[in-house]
Amino acid sequence: MPDEARLAAADQPLVFRPKPERPPPTSSIGVLGWMRANLFSSVSNALLTLLGAYIAIVFFTAIINWALVDAVWEASNRRECLDRVGRAGACWPGVIAWIPNLLYGLYPKDQVWRINIAFLILVAWALPLWLPRVRSKVGIGLSAVLLYPFLASYFFHGGAKDLLWTALIALGMAAFAGVWLTTLSERATGLPFGAAIARLTGAPEDDEAATRTRARIAYAVLYLVAVGVTTQWSLSEVSTRYWGGLFLTLVISGFGITFSLPAGVMLALGRRSQMPFISLCSTAFIELFRSVPLITILFMFNTMLPLFLPVGVEVNRLVRAIVAVCLFAAAYMAEIVRGGLQAIPRGQYEAASAVGLGFWQSTALVIMPQALKIMIPTIVGNFIGLFKDTTLVSIIGLFDLLSMARAVGEDTTWLGLFLEPFFFITMIYFVFCFLMSQYSLNLERRLGAGQRR
Amino acid sequence: MARAAATAQPAAATARLSSLVNDSFARAIFYQLLTAAILVGGIWYLISNTIANMSQRGMAAGFDFLDYTAGFNIVFTLIPYREGDSYFRVFQVGIANTLLVAVIGIVLATLIGLVMGLARLSTNWLIRTMARWYVEILRNTPLLLQIIAWYFGFFNLLPVPRQSFDWGGAFFLNNRGFYFPAPVPQDGFGWTGVALGLAIVASVAIHRWARRRLEATGQSFPSVLSGVGLIVLLPTATFLATGSPLEWDIPVLRGFNFRGGLSVPPTFCALIVALAIYTSCFIAEIVRAGIQSVSHGQTEAARALGVKPSRIMRFVILPQALRVIIPPLISQYLNLTKNSSLAIAIGFPDLVSVWMNTSLNQSGRAIPIVAMTMAFYCAVSLSVSLLMNLYNRRVQITER
Repeated sequence: MPDEARLAAADQPLVFRPKPERPPPTSSIGVLGWMRANLFSSVSNALLTLLGAYIAIVFFTAIINWALVDAVWEASNRRECLDRVGRAGACWPGVIAWIPNLLYGLYPKDQVWRINIAFLILVAWALPLWLPRVRSKVGIGLSAVLLYPFLASYFFHGGAKDLLWTALIALGMAAFAGVWLTTLSERATGLPFGAAIARLTGAPEDDEAATRTRARIAYAVLYLVAVGVTTQWSLSEVSTRYWGGLFLTLVISGFGITFSLPAGVMLALGRRSQMPFISLCSTAFIELFRSVPLITILFMFNTMLPLFLPVGVEVNRLVRAIVAVCLFAAAYMAEIVRGGLQAIPRGQYEAASAVGLGFWQSTALVIMPQALKIMIPTIVGNFIGLFKDTTLVSIIGLFDLLSMARAVGEDTTWLGLFLEPFFFITMIYFVFCFLMSQYSLNLERRLGAGQRR
Repeated sequence: MARAAATAQPAAATARLSSLVNDSFARAIFYQLLTAAILVGGIWYLISNTIANMSQRGMAAGFDFLDYTAGFNIVFTLIPYREGDSYFRVFQVGIANTLLVAVIGIVLATLIGLVMGLARLSTNWLIRTMARWYVEILRNTPLLLQIIAWYFGFFNLLPVPRQSFDWGGAFFLNNRGFYFPAPVPQDGFGWTGVALGLAIVASVAIHRWARRRLEATGQSFPSVLSGVGLIVLLPTATFLATGSPLEWDIPVLRGFNFRGGLSVPPTFCALIVALAIYTSCFIAEIVRAGIQSVSHGQTEAARALGVKPSRIMRFVILPQALRVIIPPLISQYLNLTKNSSLAIAIGFPDLVSVWMNTSLNQSGRAIPIVAMTMAFYCAVSLSVSLLMNLYNRRVQITER
């Protein structure tokens, strides 16, 4: 019976059963497999690996022997180091003795706490940007860029303050308090500080006008308190002549970074403008400052700025350097921003004007947010470049980190000690720049998540 | 708007004003006039201040000082210079020194950068990692620091001439600099030069012919190999046929220093080494990004068509990668040229050092000297960007 036979076959179906997979050969898995694939895949590769390993080992043992194994850690002068190990080992006591100068220059030792506090304030100011459930991040970021400099310059420079200066310092102080009050209230209630105060003082939730008025009053009270504190608060003056070391490097690059972004945006918009004269002026400025080396601009400002100003007006050397660095950085930033603007398709501009946005609105709300996102890696790259370029101010006689490191070898106690301080500040520069570049990579990955498939 | 103005006469004036305010053309003119006014006012202010300052300090303006005797010595000059020469000669010496540093630096940086860029793409993990850290460490530290460290930490600490490093009795390195033999052409050496010129012309012609034939018939001709052969063999043959008319002036140790041959000071060595190494990191990244920018599909497609691996690199990957590589590479070359101005930190006499520093301090003519220095750097970088634009137009992908 064909039917019965088929039924009988269905009882024991014929299924293909593969044999269990055999493990891969031991030479292609684990450490051995990885080494075969990545280090010894061919004869030439194996030779390269051996050569590379030889160079790496020689190099690393030399560095470690010099910096750690044979190094001298305690000595009172260079002679003592040389007597003990000669040039075979590093002489770290010189660097250790100079660390305060390398960090703060000739800033009075009893006033150094001011620098530390000001930098801690900056860290505290920026901290909410990384906290979850904080909504006003744009405002916090902007306030840090725009208002922190006033507070910081009083911490750094101190001295007498007139009415305007008092008002600006108080603004910085109020903004710092406002940032943290907003952060705390947003984390607790989800409302910014002003609105939270309005709610607490009994403004109804749906009455926007009342909320706004009360919020303004709250901010005004905060500002008045800050003004009161500022007038009662005084710090002794520390002339910029005593500024130096890593502190000065950070001040100059901080100014450059803060100024270059808005100025660069304006210059880039100017260069792309339909108005021929404005576009011509922006282009001329950008091309001039980009085509000459920074050192010539520093020299120019050093020799020419006193000539450009009214007779008898003296300009501080630090200010000359900062002006030069700012203009130089702005020209480079302008080209980066222009590149970002060019990458935005025309349709975005057309769509923005189709919904009735004017030039400034469409630029600020539609174009720039997209362009800035594309530009982040290049902007951070530019900041790194700027940070490294601040070393050039040592040539015009400012005591930045590099000058301070050179000064170690000119100190009579540590005469000729150049390599060790250079090694030390190389590590400082490397850590700063490397962290910045890694952070930018990280940011790029997070922001670009929408574009990735 | 016109009809509204006709019907309501009193409102006409305000309407015209508002239409003027809202007219983008009128506004553009207004903004530009405003900018021009601010600019002219600012420049006038600066100029009047400058004139007042200069008359108060008794500073002279003008370019007449270019003919005056400079009267200072320059430790290293590419072109002949004596202490009695004019300021204009100092300017030329500075330009020649800057260009010398730039050219040698560019060649070395390109070679190192190419090797490091390819190493970063290596399949060998160790080579790849070493190249990565080479790039990361050196490009994340300031160039000025590197220049100073090379000078004070290496070239300045070399042994005295008596204990120089000696390579083959002809090349010497010590704390006075790097000494190498100078070629001294004898009678008849010109023929070798002529032969070299002929060989270059011929190999370019062969290359063009081969390319045209390749495009027309698909038959290839080893034009690169034959070109190299021609350029090497023809001058060598001429050189030998005319009786080797070239002698070498080898530096020899006399007393405390070397005599004869050519030499460059330690500042030059430190500057070149630092510039080449620093720039090579950026070039390595450019090379890597350029090669990675060619999608892997291109290689696979070429393989599927049965193209040989060596030809895939030459005819498929490289032409596309070069389009990405060349513009940033040229801007790195410009950066290197501009960065050579850091020579002043270790005292190598480049343009900024001899002109913007020594000459400026000595003659006090700030404005003409600053203007001439800036004009030189602007001229270099504008002419390079002009060439760049021409190149970009040539290699741009023609789209629909």
